Amino acid sequence: MKKKVVSLMLCAAMAAGMLTGCGGENADKATSTTDGTEAASGKSDEEYDLTLYSINTTDADFDEWLQNVEEATGLNINVIAAPTDSDTRQQKITTILSTADASVDIIEINDEMSASFKNSGWLEGLNDTVMTEDIRGEFAQGYLEQMITDKDGNIVGVPGYAGYLAFWVNQEIMDEVGITSIDTKEDFVKYLEAASGDGRYGYGGSWEKTYVFNEIAQFVNMFGGDYFDWTNPANKEAIQFMHDMVANGQTPIDQIADKYEQMNPKANDGKYGSLFMWGLGTDYEKAGMLGDDKIHMAMVPDFSGTGERAIFTDSWSYVLNAASKNKEAAIKFLQYMADEGGMEASYKAFDRYPARADVAEKVVPDTDPAKEMYSRYASECKVQGRPMLPQTMEFITDMGTIFQSCMKDEITVDEFCVKAQELVEKYSA
Amino acid sequence: MTISKKSMKWIPWILILPVVIIRGFTTLYPILVTLKNSLFDIKILSGVNEFVGLANYVNVFKDAKVITSIKFTVIFVVVSMIFHVVLGVALALILNMKFRGRRFLRTIVLIPWAMPAVVIGMAAKWAFNNDYGLINDLIRRFVSDFQYNWLINTGSARAAVIAMDLWKDLPFFAILVLSGLQFISGDIYEAAKVDGANGIQSFFRITLPLITKNVITLCIPFTLWRLTTFDLVYAMTSGGPGEDTSLIAYRITMEAFTNLNVGYASTLAVMLFIVMAVFSWFNIRVMSKYSD
Repeated sequence: MKKKVVSLMLCAAMAAGMLTGCGGENADKATSTTDGTEAASGKSDEEYDLTLYSINTTDADFDEWLQNVEEATGLNINVIAAPTDSDTRQQKITTILSTADASVDIIEINDEMSASFKNSGWLEGLNDTVMTEDIRGEFAQGYLEQMITDKDGNIVGVPGYAGYLAFWVNQEIMDEVGITSIDTKEDFVKYLEAASGDGRYGYGGSWEKTYVFNEIAQFVNMFGGDYFDWTNPANKEAIQFMHDMVANGQTPIDQIADKYEQMNPKANDGKYGSLFMWGLGTDYEKAGMLGDDKIHMAMVPDFSGTGERAIFTDSWSYVLNAASKNKEAAIKFLQYMADEGGMEASYKAFDRYPARADVAEKVVPDTDPAKEMYSRYASECKVQGRPMLPQTMEFITDMGTIFQSCMKDEITVDEFCVKAQELVEKYSA
Repeated sequence: MTISKKSMKWIPWILILPVVIIRGFTTLYPILVTLKNSLFDIKILSGVNEFVGLANYVNVFKDAKVITSIKFTVIFVVVSMIFHVVLGVALALILNMKFRGRRFLRTIVLIPWAMPAVVIGMAAKWAFNNDYGLINDLIRRFVSDFQYNWLINTGSARAAVIAMDLWKDLPFFAILVLSGLQFISGDIYEAAKVDGANGIQSFFRITLPLITKNVITLCIPFTLWRLTTFDLVYAMTSGGPGEDTSLIAYRITMEAFTNLNVGYASTLAVMLFIVMAVFSWFNIRVMSKYSD
């Protein structure tokens, strides 16, 4: 009998232990949110003023940047590293926001996520607190309106930097083939013809189905088309042009498996004469290939012949989770990021070109090769945010899928345009 | 202190109650919610949430992306399982032979299985790259001008995914078959040898019949794992080119977590669940028949 009672008590204790382990708030929950990767030390949540979900934790200067921000704001910031893979990152962030997970206060989101989330109610409006009228005018207006303003006119993010889908050329190849500038479509075609051959291509890209969207939209823009109207002859002309580049061996079909991490090494190895790429060329710099005599930014060619040059701008914006319980601290953080100090810190640590024109003018030295090109892009090009719809990734993926089929000659260019229009109508509805 | 017989009747229930509660909350509840969601059109990004009955189930058969996924999933499962069985048994036989370094080989053969599928997928994306991949580098040692990008054509991309799946899980399958082989007494082979049976005859008359039940048992979880594989494709091909390597589990993940079409993703999940349940039932029937 004694045995039975003892075993009964042990079982009860075990069951209670299991239930205790399963439920309730854990005192030390600092490191257990989302993907569990935390960049900061093992302090508990209670010691932090806010939690930042950051894409920059792998940067060598991240700790220095964090120290700068903490000192300037007086905030104690808990940092969670966002996954580096784009799909995984987007899924994690979507899950956090859609489930009103309050364990993260500030998140960095890209334009794709912004297009999806800005009207969802998951993000706090910042018009009266951070993006006030006095500083709003210093940001690229087209970008603010198209990418991070919701349907009620609330700005929901602070752009972390200003980026362009810049046109990059390999000067060594240009010199070799004797072409001095690529200013028009004819120049570009001449360059493609001259630079292609023997395993080298005049143009290279990253045409993985979720990445190729940038280049499709860029070429459509350069031809004067409209990404949301595939009955426009200029759109067809753009796709035909891209198809011809493949058919003529001026760009490789292999790149339909490539993301940027595959494309950039090829550019560094001199396999590509030109390409479109975001950022300031960090990957080329690391490979010792950045420079006026190697790979450098150039003015976007005028394809339409109207003198209008089209370029896309992008950013990663800091947004405030509407479910946050640390809004006061989060706003303090965002105010700093929208201010000169925050932008300067980001520029110095991550090479992020300041999103505010006045700050860029002040902070970026004239010796920075990006400064001249970026100011030329801003003044000489038609600068736009990328064309996105609320079901962003679904739309992008479907467009990428039919584009790959077209480039592989599984469907014709005409069929591509018909299908593309159907997708626009499906996702606009 | 005495416990009445009547009270004793409740003790087992009380004892298993925590497990029932935990299981109910972590398994039963999500299944019921998924079943319910499968009858709704839930698009979180568009704010849509309306009852559509069986419309999602009907749409599955009109959705070209899902049909492509189903086709590839069938190919993936069938081809991969055939190779698992054939090569797995062959590898198990090799590992069962007596030779120097057998223990070392048995240990290292499991390394791919111990690696996360995402890591393997990311490495495979580079391995099959035409310019930088080790696969083509190896081939070029024999065919110097060999140029081929495995991941851009439907057939080769699918073959590459299946090859990586085999590379990862085949050793584990083989080790489990090996455990079955080790239960076969050496006396039986001795007796067969005395009766004049050669190696091939011994394999088909002794080894194969004695490990068949073991292999069929292994086929259940291995097939179910193939049906739910998504991480390899996620990291290696992102379902491409186009949608050609989108396994059904990958498609569900994309619909649920990227596109946030929760209703449709639930429908696909319920259908996959039914397929898996039917498959398991069928396998158990075959096994019990075999035992009889």
